Amino acid sequence: MMLAGTERRRRQLVIAGLGTALTLVMGAVLIMGFRLATHMRADIGSLQTASTAQTYPEEISHQLNSLRDRLEVRAYSGQALADLQGTVKRFEQKLNELSVSGEADAPQLHRALQLWHQYAPVLDPVLYFNGQPYVDSDSAGSSLSREGRQHYAEVKRAQLFASDGAGPLQAQLAALAATLQRTCSDAAARLRTLLLAGVLAALALAGAAGYFRLTRSSHERAAREAQEQTRDILQTVREGFFLLDADYRIGSVWSEALTRMFSRQDFAGLSFEALLKDLVAPATLATATKYIKLLWGDRAHENLMKSINPLGQLEITVDNGHGGKETRYLQFDFHRVMGPEGVKQVLCAVGDITSSVLLARELQDSQENANAQVDMMLSMLHVEPMQLLSFLDTAETSLELVNTILKEPARTDAEFRRKLGGLFRELHGIKGEASALNLKSIASRVHALEDMVADCKKKPELTGNDFLPLVLRLDDLLAHLRSVREMAARLTALPAPAAAAGAPSGSAALRTQSPRPVEDLSPALQAMAARLAEDHAKHFRLTVAGLSEVPPSYAATIKDCLIQMLRNAAVHGIEPPEVRRAHTKQDVGVVSVHFRKVGEGYELLFEDDGAGIGTEALKAAAVRRRLISEEEARGMDTRAAMALIFRPGFTTQEDVSMDAGRGVGMDMVARSVYALGGRLGVSTHPGRFTRFKILLPAAQTVSSAVA
Amino acid sequence: MLHEQELKTFVEGTTNFFEVTAQQPASIGSPYLMEGSPAVHEYTGVINISGKREGVVYFTASKAMLTVLLMKMQENDFSHETMRDLVGEVANTISGNARRDFGREFVISVPSVLSGEKPHIPQKPGMRSFIIPINWRSHSAKLIVALT
Repeated sequence: MMLAGTERRRRQLVIAGLGTALTLVMGAVLIMGFRLATHMRADIGSLQTASTAQTYPEEISHQLNSLRDRLEVRAYSGQALADLQGTVKRFEQKLNELSVSGEADAPQLHRALQLWHQYAPVLDPVLYFNGQPYVDSDSAGSSLSREGRQHYAEVKRAQLFASDGAGPLQAQLAALAATLQRTCSDAAARLRTLLLAGVLAALALAGAAGYFRLTRSSHERAAREAQEQTRDILQTVREGFFLLDADYRIGSVWSEALTRMFSRQDFAGLSFEALLKDLVAPATLATATKYIKLLWGDRAHENLMKSINPLGQLEITVDNGHGGKETRYLQFDFHRVMGPEGVKQVLCAVGDITSSVLLARELQDSQENANAQVDMMLSMLHVEPMQLLSFLDTAETSLELVNTILKEPARTDAEFRRKLGGLFRELHGIKGEASALNLKSIASRVHALEDMVADCKKKPELTGNDFLPLVLRLDDLLAHLRSVREMAARLTALPAPAAAAGAPSGSAALRTQSPRPVEDLSPALQAMAARLAEDHAKHFRLTVAGLSEVPPSYAATIKDCLIQMLRNAAVHGIEPPEVRRAHTKQDVGVVSVHFRKVGEGYELLFEDDGAGIGTEALKAAAVRRRLISEEEARGMDTRAAMALIFRPGFTTQEDVSMDAGRGVGMDMVARSVYALGGRLGVSTHPGRFTRFKILLPAAQTVSSAVA
Repeated sequence: MLHEQELKTFVEGTTNFFEVTAQQPASIGSPYLMEGSPAVHEYTGVINISGKREGVVYFTASKAMLTVLLMKMQENDFSHETMRDLVGEVANTISGNARRDFGREFVISVPSVLSGEKPHIPQKPGMRSFIIPINWRSHSAKLIVALT
């Protein structure tokens, strides 16, 4: 575009020069022609005068003859004299005209005047005669008077002179006329030549002007076509292009895509800062502005500048055309346009990479999901299939219960708040069991859901809006459990030595496999104990006895209780090795589980040789959590203080972790035991042990009671 | 997984309608999930969605609730057609809100209105829906979001 502009200016100068030359040439031709014409006019006048004058000497001669003849026959001579006087007078006039004309220096005229100056004195006596040439007498008739005789003699002398001198005079005048005729012919020829040259010059210049005009038209057409092509490109290209000047302002040309990207059209003259001001964070804007300034530095290396481009992936929020906002990701690329004096402009190319960014995220999510599924599958391989399916059944049942709790109509804060306790308990149970089976993806999801319930609890007033994230998480959790079940179905469908021939496969079939045999909880508990020890940097061993005696109807409750108590023991009971050493205890603690039939019922003993439970610590925690007042705490005996452990929302831990801090676990244990008609006791010795004893009635009694 | 903001857009579209039209805000009840086709009231306004998400969003309300709403709007015509128009208007507001917030990512159909308690709503079998009770005065309608 810049070259085309220079070329256009050059052509304009050439055409202006041609026009001026044409004007000058035509002016010169006209002036010279005018002068030639003026000369020619004078010469033609002189030629006419000379041509007329050359006839007079002969006419004077004839008239002298006529005068003589009249005098001889005594005829009237007055008229002849008058004619002669008139002719001489006109001749002298012509000679005077020639003398004052441009031909005064002509030799022919000079010689003619010399001859006339000799001739004129001879003629003068004749011309000035005014006497009576005749006398009349009766006798002789008319005769010449004395004056008449003298006049006759002068006429005859003039006649004689005329017969000798008229010829040369006439010849000189004829020669003068011929010279003048040649001069006129020459002038006419020069004028013709001049006019011809002028016309040719004019034609040449006009031709040149026409040529340049034609070439200019073709260049203009080419420029117009180039402009149209540029416009088509700018309208079609998907990238946003614009130029920034040294004041960081956008030029007057930009691509149409820019309008779509920024949902605006007023780019011309807009500063780069103003373009981004309302779209990005102030810190990003400041960085981008600094970067743009750096681009103008002559020493800035383009590749280096590219590598530090802060606008490689810029997130902006723009109108979506429907009154709302949408997020787009733009990629700015800068190219410096160099001129003779350094950086002239900066070409900015903006690409809308929203689709690519979102696709990359989706790919990343898919990758993470795939990794999570692999992890999940690996962790599932360590779980007994029946145990896993039992867990999935329980978890889904619990989540159905969670959904039922949510489904209960609620309008007031109290109605919403009442739901939270139930949600906590159900979720905590699922998390505990998932942790016990080391199904981290499920445990972490439930933990996140628990966090949301905890957040709701902290809010001063609850509404349905607060439950929207919960229900979304619940949906996600259910979807995850479904995918785990599908994976489990695939795993169990694999040919395995233990797989019973003809056994039903697939999730539907798996869900129908009931009643299941009482599972042996020991491996799961051992795995959980190992994980807890690692997570909490504790050293302890778990001893388990009698769990195979657990009747099927108690299996779920016993499992939930053991999971919760094991977590409590690992988090609160067993001390870190250095603390145990300081209290002269073995580095490795012991947690023991013993289930046995006692009389008609059953007994579960759970004991750890950890720090025990300090009643004062329990009371202080309960006061901190506003479960009891300080006054109530002071009035509490040891038994009442120990009972705090089983209160909903009670925990001695300040921070919530995967394994403790919700204040739900022991509450759930107590509720489960009481629901089965059982009893629960706890005994402790600070610094030595904590022991939980659960007594359950005979299983059939419970079954009928529950039924 | 549906995003919280997406769900909120549909909810706000519904509650805004009551706020603007009846000058009395609606609140939402406790949301829950349901597998299969949820029960609907007599009048249901449906919008079909495709693009980034696929499925349906519908608002279903009882005749009693719509009657009170029309009364609140100073409307004297309580005919079947007016009820249909009203529930269609709610669906239209939900649709407008979704267009505003989601832009070109969502392709949203013109609302359609179904009446009767067993209308055919095109929903994938086995799909879980989000049921969001819309409480207004003593009445309760439902906003159902069934999107994948």
